[in-house]
Amino acid sequence: MDLLEYQAKELFREMGIPVLPSQRIDHSRDLKGLQIPYPVVLKSQVRAGGRGRAGGIRFAENTIDAIAAARTIFNLPILGEYPQVLLAEAKYDATREFYLAVTLDYELRRPVLLGSSQGGMNLEAVMELLQQVVVDQEFSSFYARHLTLKMGLQGALIQSVSTVVEKMYHLFVQNDLDGVEINPLGVSPTGELMALDGKITVNDAALRRHPALASLAAKMPQSDIAKETPTEIDPGKFLPIQNWLNRDGNIGILCNGTSLAMAMVDLVYNAGGKPRLCLIVGEEASGNLTPVSWREQLEQALERLTQNKNIKVLLVNILGNTAASQEVVAVIDEYLQRKVSEMPEHPQRMTRRVGTPSPKDPRTRIGDRRPEFLSQLPQFVVRLAGSELDKTQEPLAAMPVHWSDSLDDAVEQAISLAKAAAKSRSASSTKL
Amino acid sequence: MKLTPDSKILIQGIAEPLAATYTARMTAYGTKVVAAVSAGHGGQTLDGIPVFDLVEQAIESVGAVDISIIFVPPYSALDAALEAIGAGIRQIILITGGIPPLDMVRLLRKAEATQTLIVGPSSSGIIVPGKVLLGTHETEFYSPGSVGLLSCCGNLTYEVAWEMTRAGYGQSIAVSIGSEPFVGSSVVEWLEILAGDKNTKVIVLVSHIGSNDEQAAAEYIVAALDKPVIVYFVGRLLPQEKILGPGNALGFWRQEAMHASPQAELAAEQTPENRKIAAFKQAKIPIAERPSQIPDLVKKALKKSG
Repeated sequence: MDLLEYQAKELFREMGIPVLPSQRIDHSRDLKGLQIPYPVVLKSQVRAGGRGRAGGIRFAENTIDAIAAARTIFNLPILGEYPQVLLAEAKYDATREFYLAVTLDYELRRPVLLGSSQGGMNLEAVMELLQQVVVDQEFSSFYARHLTLKMGLQGALIQSVSTVVEKMYHLFVQNDLDGVEINPLGVSPTGELMALDGKITVNDAALRRHPALASLAAKMPQSDIAKETPTEIDPGKFLPIQNWLNRDGNIGILCNGTSLAMAMVDLVYNAGGKPRLCLIVGEEASGNLTPVSWREQLEQALERLTQNKNIKVLLVNILGNTAASQEVVAVIDEYLQRKVSEMPEHPQRMTRRVGTPSPKDPRTRIGDRRPEFLSQLPQFVVRLAGSELDKTQEPLAAMPVHWSDSLDDAVEQAISLAKAAAKSRSASSTKL
Repeated sequence: MKLTPDSKILIQGIAEPLAATYTARMTAYGTKVVAAVSAGHGGQTLDGIPVFDLVEQAIESVGAVDISIIFVPPYSALDAALEAIGAGIRQIILITGGIPPLDMVRLLRKAEATQTLIVGPSSSGIIVPGKVLLGTHETEFYSPGSVGLLSCCGNLTYEVAWEMTRAGYGQSIAVSIGSEPFVGSSVVEWLEILAGDKNTKVIVLVSHIGSNDEQAAAEYIVAALDKPVIVYFVGRLLPQEKILGPGNALGFWRQEAMHASPQAELAAEQTPENRKIAAFKQAKIPIAERPSQIPDLVKKALKKSG
């Protein structure tokens, strides 16, 4: 997760990396009490890059200018995101600008120090001169000095810039970050350094052992996923359920495993369907689950997916042993029963008709008999795999769901149901 | 990897719910679990396995072990692995997922210095169908045979194994190297191991866009491997700008973004998945479009290699 610039600069300040005097602006009227002398720079606090070009960074010479600029920036979305706060900062004249970063190289399996003697918005120039030093063993200052020499720095800048790099590295390690970036690092005519813009990417896996960062994360604007599937449940209760979203889709996917989710998204797309949202439950998502929370996660995911009115078909593929599959079927059954009993206009329980369809036919279509009131929920397509399928087939045959033991068939079924739902919807809207 | 049906296995974190469940399954499959460790539980016996407070005590009591399987929570995994290495264990399987990357940096430095093989993190472990189970693979999807299954994925591995099992192609071994951006042993290391395994006639590699060493794998297959390889690669159709969550397997994107933000400026042909696919295509390695296609490709490969 990326922190906002003002949050990153707070951490820089604590670490002793030089930053300009600045003030957080929550509302344009806050500018009346500005403590920083004019001229100032007002910066939109969004996570997207390219703020300057989008008009999210403006200069102001006085209070009137500043209030007008702040109003404009608050109303300017950048890549769809409106800023909740702005940063007002003193103006700085740099004679030179550098680029510095500390990140992890997943191929080398080591942290790397990155530096370019050209910093700023022209990323091509930054990249062309980018130098790298791999921190192969325990960190020591010489790694940072090595970087500055590779960047071609001379004289006093060798020591001053490498001190900044060293502080960036400590920030990186102490907070389990994925990356720290300063771009640009401004150099004044007297050789004074200033981190003019910064980016910090925290590692989500490590968040729970850094309470201060976790509380920053909790204050971040809601993600698109959270908006798509609102939930009353404390988001901190479970580790992130896998999040993937396509605004044009109408098929929801529920499965256990990131790679399995990717495979299903690929299959649905390849067969001409449009996945909308994919939620992942299970051991892989949490690392450490008790049976209770597994059940809870499954129920929570079902709730979130079925509440989403854009999802017409829910494709469920939970791969596990026979006992796990039986439990999944039981949870879906209970869920549907509960939904039906909760529907106020139809207080009666769902009637169940057991038995007739042949369990040998993998495409048994019990869903054709689904009660009218279930049409408020998406249609369920459940995929089951394993060597003892009969144990799960029988209860499924009595439920208003479609099921198959073949992944290809389940995907095909989900797509044809989704297409039929889209068609009937457009037909009914024509009638209106 | 030195692994036989008689390999002596240690379980670290036996008191964790997952460990208790899977240890019983491993034992039932015939795996020789000789001891277990969970601080505070020393002196107990679980499913006939003696439990100790320290790895060192376990080894003093039962003798050297060949492999340790670690189930402890993510923030304790580095410590558990260092404890195993300190006690002389040189093969470790990390079932635990979500270990912070900087912990992995420390662990891998130590593993390199001591020549320790680390499988995982976030691994389902290793299964030799019909013989030995080390980890959490669901055994009902597997059957004995001659296909080496190498996976950077979690339970997508079962999907692929199941398709092969149903088509009558059993597996010589299935290895889950872990689905996180940061794993110990690499695809290339495992290709080398399977190259020397006489029970493996063909190799199926299951991978995703978040993994890092496909390019190296493609190069190795072309340059040094005389067994046929089939690749199934997922996540190809996830559009870059639509990837919103911090899913572990997608960590690679963040690194790309860090190097060349803003992301949107990356040209389509430079995206990592396209580079990877290109590497395999160039090497003329068959790429499966979906799991159900894999048995056919295995059949063709076996026919070709005679």
